[in-house]
Amino acid sequence: MTEQTTAETGVPTPAEIESHLLEFLEARTKSAVSPDLDLFASGLVSSMFAMELVVLLEQRYGVAVVGGDLKLDNFRTVQRITELVLRLRDA
Amino acid sequence: MPEPLVAARPLVRGLVGDKAGAWDLAGELPADLLTDLGARGLLCAQVGTEYGGLGASSLANGEFTAFVGGLCSSLRSVMTSQGMAAWTIQRLGDAGQRAEHLRHLVSGGLAAVAFSEPDAGSDLSAMAATITPDGDDVVVTGRKVWTTAAAYADRIVVFGRYGDGAAAVVVPVSRPGVRVTRVADPLGCRAAGHANVELTDVRVPAGQVLGGTGQSLPLLVTAALAYGRMSVAWGCVGILRSCVEAVGAHARERRQFGTALIEHQLVARHMAELYADERSATLACAHASRCWDEGSPDMVAATVLAKYTGSRHAARGAATAVQVLASAGARDGHAVARAYRDAKLMEIIEGSSEICQLMLSRHALAADYS
Ligand SMILES: Cc1cc2nc3c(=O)[nH]c(=O)nc-3n(C[C@H](O)[C@H](O)[C@H](O)COP(=O)(O)OP(=O)(O)OC[C@H]3O[C@@H](n4cnc5c(N)ncnc54)[C@H](O)[C@@H]3O)c2cc1C
Repeated sequence: MTEQTTAETGVPTPAEIESHLLEFLEARTKSAVSPDLDLFASGLVSSMFAMELVVLLEQRYGVAVVGGDLKLDNFRTVQRITELVLRLRDA
Repeated sequence: MPEPLVAARPLVRGLVGDKAGAWDLAGELPADLLTDLGARGLLCAQVGTEYGGLGASSLANGEFTAFVGGLCSSLRSVMTSQGMAAWTIQRLGDAGQRAEHLRHLVSGGLAAVAFSEPDAGSDLSAMAATITPDGDDVVVTGRKVWTTAAAYADRIVVFGRYGDGAAAVVVPVSRPGVRVTRVADPLGCRAAGHANVELTDVRVPAGQVLGGTGQSLPLLVTAALAYGRMSVAWGCVGILRSCVEAVGAHARERRQFGTALIEHQLVARHMAELYADERSATLACAHASRCWDEGSPDMVAATVLAKYTGSRHAARGAATAVQVLASAGARDGHAVARAYRDAKLMEIIEGSSEICQLMLSRHALAADYS
């Protein structure tokens, strides 16, 4: 009973969030992206693109990225973005 | 479209009447016009009903913005500032700040948004204004320039450095140390109340700082400007529509070489190009607003595209309109003369055409037409 899958609960698991994000980023940047790649240092992500990620998270995961969470650091890697979603979702 | 924005059109048309030209020449909008429209929630119609706002969609508010922009770009500029202030508070503020400030903005309060400084125009990373914590207060110091509507506003949303990061703080204009000086003789949107804002050790409660601290300037600015870009883009649609109407009326009436101007094919081409510019700007805006209303990540790029398309088309279309009206439109205060001056400035603000091109060029690299 505790081993519910996404299909049953409708709530994406952390691994699923991470793979959705990697898919989105690879499609948008046309580059290979790993979960710990620094998206800003690699030049793949601008602040305009970070804003797209904000809106994507809000639409896909029903969270609100506002106030103090609007910092680029939260968007530095796919791992960080995933942590942000999990934190906001549980809040 | 929600009922209030439909009903508001005859109201605004009545209030503006034929006075936009005189306001432009005087460089001043009547204060009671702004507080009246503000108290009806019309200056920032997307503010939610939970705060006493109209809760309009981006698309409905956009069409209304175009309507107002077609009558008077100065009034529309004030709406852009008020709406951008509201959006910034909505996006960056916490629940208590939203409740307080958004209610204020739909009950007659007026706000402006200050990013630009003497040495920080297109490059906002050069911003020097500081917001420094001091006990239960913060102290705000800096020089802001060209803040639209600051001459009318009672609160200004000021962006500045905060520690290693950045923040936005709501500063009541009545605070000691705030000095607002009008920008003399602006080229366009002359009655929009553009002003330079000097802040010298302005002390406000720390609770006026929106949201948390440690935010990133680029992301804050990008978030805030999104609304401003959308609003300017729709305002440009309004400019284009007023030009279509003015050119249409004049080209039918005015006769030269024995026939109405519109019968001359070169004039007809002007009419067609102007119309095509208005339609394509409208489509770009409507697309961006729909993305906004759906919460689609495409809204970010679509908004830049709408602003870029709208302002470039408006500048070109307004020049065409002056060309067709010729001497009939060649005096300050005339609708097409205002359009010509107002539209040019729309290519400069909220990300100039060049800055938009830089953003769009990067976005284009990711285009996928498969
Ligand atoms: C009518 C009006 C209303 C305004 N309202 C507000 C307001 O409400 N709040 C506010 O904070 N500010 C406001 N501003 C200021 C406005 O945001 C700035 O004017 C704008 O950002 C451009 O900055 P600048 O004028 O310093 O030009 P600069 O940044 O000096 O640019 C000069 C020229 O160089 C180009 N340029 C600059 N950098 C690059 C680059 N990297 N690549 C290519 N070209 C480049 C620009 O596109 C422009 O053509 C307003 C300005 C106007 C005219």
